[in-house]
Amino acid sequence: MTTTSVPATTGLTFDERVRHLMRWHFSPETGSPFWLRQLPELGFDPIEEVTDAAGLLRFPDLSDRLRTTPAGDLIPRGLTGAGFQVYESGGSSGAPKRIVDRDYRSRLLSWAFERLRAHHLPDPAHWLHLGPSGPHVFAYDCARYAALGGGLFYPVDFDPRWVKRLVAAGDTEIVGRYVRHLLDQARDVLSSQPIGVLSTTPPLIEAICADPELHELVNRRVDTIIWAGTSFSPESLRQVDEIFFPDTTVIGIYGNTLMGVAPQRPPQPGDKHRCVFEPWAEAIRIDLVEDGEPVGYGERGRVRLSLVTEEMFLPNVMERDTAVRVEPAEGGAVDGLAEVGTIATVGANRVIEGVY
Amino acid sequence: MSAAAIEPIVCGRTVHSLDRAVLADVCGTPLADVGQAPRLMAAGALAQARRAADGRPVEHALLVRAAELFANAELDGETPDEYERRVALGTGLPRGTVRHATADIVRAIDRLPRTVAAELPATEQGSGYRTVWVPAGRIFAAVMASNHPAPNDSWLHALALGFSVLVRPGTRDPFTARRLVLALLAAGLPAHRVSYLPGSHAVGSYLLESADRGIVYGGDEAVARWRGSASVTTRGPGRSRALLDVAPTDEVLDHLATAAAYDGGTRCNNISLVLTTGDVRAVADGLAARFDKLGGPVVTAPDAVLPAVDAARAEVLAGQLRGLREELTVHAPVGAEPVTGLPDGSYRPLPTVLSTDDPRHPAVGLELPFPFVVVAPWRRGEPDLLGGALVANLLTEDEDIVAGAVADPRIGKVTRGRTLPWAAAPGTPHDGNLSVFLLHPKGIVDMGGKEDAMA
Repeated sequence: MTTTSVPATTGLTFDERVRHLMRWHFSPETGSPFWLRQLPELGFDPIEEVTDAAGLLRFPDLSDRLRTTPAGDLIPRGLTGAGFQVYESGGSSGAPKRIVDRDYRSRLLSWAFERLRAHHLPDPAHWLHLGPSGPHVFAYDCARYAALGGGLFYPVDFDPRWVKRLVAAGDTEIVGRYVRHLLDQARDVLSSQPIGVLSTTPPLIEAICADPELHELVNRRVDTIIWAGTSFSPESLRQVDEIFFPDTTVIGIYGNTLMGVAPQRPPQPGDKHRCVFEPWAEAIRIDLVEDGEPVGYGERGRVRLSLVTEEMFLPNVMERDTAVRVEPAEGGAVDGLAEVGTIATVGANRVIEGVY
Repeated sequence: MSAAAIEPIVCGRTVHSLDRAVLADVCGTPLADVGQAPRLMAAGALAQARRAADGRPVEHALLVRAAELFANAELDGETPDEYERRVALGTGLPRGTVRHATADIVRAIDRLPRTVAAELPATEQGSGYRTVWVPAGRIFAAVMASNHPAPNDSWLHALALGFSVLVRPGTRDPFTARRLVLALLAAGLPAHRVSYLPGSHAVGSYLLESADRGIVYGGDEAVARWRGSASVTTRGPGRSRALLDVAPTDEVLDHLATAAAYDGGTRCNNISLVLTTGDVRAVADGLAARFDKLGGPVVTAPDAVLPAVDAARAEVLAGQLRGLREELTVHAPVGAEPVTGLPDGSYRPLPTVLSTDDPRHPAVGLELPFPFVVVAPWRRGEPDLLGGALVANLLTEDEDIVAGAVADPRIGKVTRGRTLPWAAAPGTPHDGNLSVFLLHPKGIVDMGGKEDAMA
């Protein structure tokens, strides 16, 4: 079987892409086994009835099924061919979700890399990646950025699921030793290699800052710090920017395995937030909602996202993240997101005891 | 009155934090807008404090000046009166208790030299041989709870002996530690010696992990991680109790009621269990009759004596107390609700006396933050029931029982007869010896040029 050509969707509006790709994902010749299996349960005909972003909300949130569906069933038949990779989500809310990717992420990352360069990324730059690799997409993304910038990529292996287990079991002592192990490897790379960019997570930035020697080394060697993976509070971000790394460019990337990345946009006059993320308007639709309705600008809502590409179709996914909705930048088309946080889990049975 | 703005203080310098948490008072009204210190701010404070730390003891006169300011001065716009009001509303402690706590802290500072002297062994071995006690580190972390302001004297102790101190205040009482820090700075304490970092439990844990010595107050769960730690000392629930082996005369019952209910039952050394060799019901009735007379106005009134809680805690407590009432005999006023709403919107847990014939019942040893006592039977040969008490008040003529309690390492302090659990002279321990925890003995030998006589 020859590979069917992918519908040409560049240059189209998001709604136009939705119409094109409904036909692609729900036609028996081109759709994935996963979506063709869902079709009879949907109760509507996506090809005829889903014509714009609002129409995507008719789909149920099926992202939980990505925990168990064989990843191969996600590949559209129209794309049958080699070269697909599987990525997994962090797994902080149950078993990991799996997605497949062949070309989409490369296109996304080329766009994202230009967004990073808008913050004066050194060029060329060698990257130290102190963050998840393995099944997680973060290291893959950063390796791609390094290559796009003509630099070398030095990863330090970090298994966040192991840390989550240790934390859940209260093994804080071992967590401390594991973090030390990561920092020692980072120190090793930084002391001998000409690193320009450090990609890492907020907790590891905190660990670096708590180690005066390593902090000094990063400050001296690294031009740009890219952080992603978890959120930073506004004051934490101010501490990083102003107190710990005043002469370093600090760029945040919001993202997740399912959607991709939304890098921090360059600051605008009148910005109320130090860091505003912007998703890729071509393939990703993010709404910040409360009770299903978009919140106003400056208000906090829960992240609802849809991913519409030739390779993956993921409509109407409710994330655990919340963020503040920010007006589009000058000349920009999409809303920004600021102060990303996670929905607080409310403890069930509080018991009061003791005076001390 | 609008909510007070509270900011972290990093090495003596007030920092406006972008991370905010609104503290609602027991009536549900915003009381303070508290700038939070995230882990990175704590890391910065720690690094700065460590760089500057010199380990020098703080002169007592400075501490006394600070105590005077703490008790009497207007600090950052906060009068002593306003301080009392804020703590009462934030924690639900009756105003009288807050006032007592201020006096306790002033007294603790005043007595500190005598306390330290009493806590350390004699150090002169004569002929040029001596021991000096030096700080066992440079950085002290204090993770406070909100049940009572007085325990803040522990970090003052560390400061006095030479440590630089970082305090994470209790969530509902961010006021006391802040006021003390402001008073210390106003009295002339070098700025690098003290930081005030309101924040999450994770920030508290981080400080304890990073400090050379630390103290943590809290429930069993909060302190569990640090039990057995060489560098962190824990202050968990007190579970103080009385053993009643004499006739329950009016004087004895008055004494027990005071031991349980003074300061609204919020001290770690308020008793919460009476074990008796006599008639369980009669003792419980006697205590309940005295509890019935407790009452009075809302916590902010000058003559308040009983604590209050907010709506959420009221609901939890009410459920907990209803459960206990089903399993044990109630001696509180018949038909009264375990928790009642007050005119200001706060809730008052009813002073409660319960009894049981089963000394193994799980409620035996339960401690709650208001006047709350369980009465249970005790027979000779059951010394285990006294174990785990911060203070065991022994009302008995039986010297064997007393000797057993004195020898029991799980009991922090023994008081005899009608002695209140908190009675203490400077240096009387009730929960270990803070000076020995903070200091390290070092031998100093100066033969003045002569040969070492021991060589």
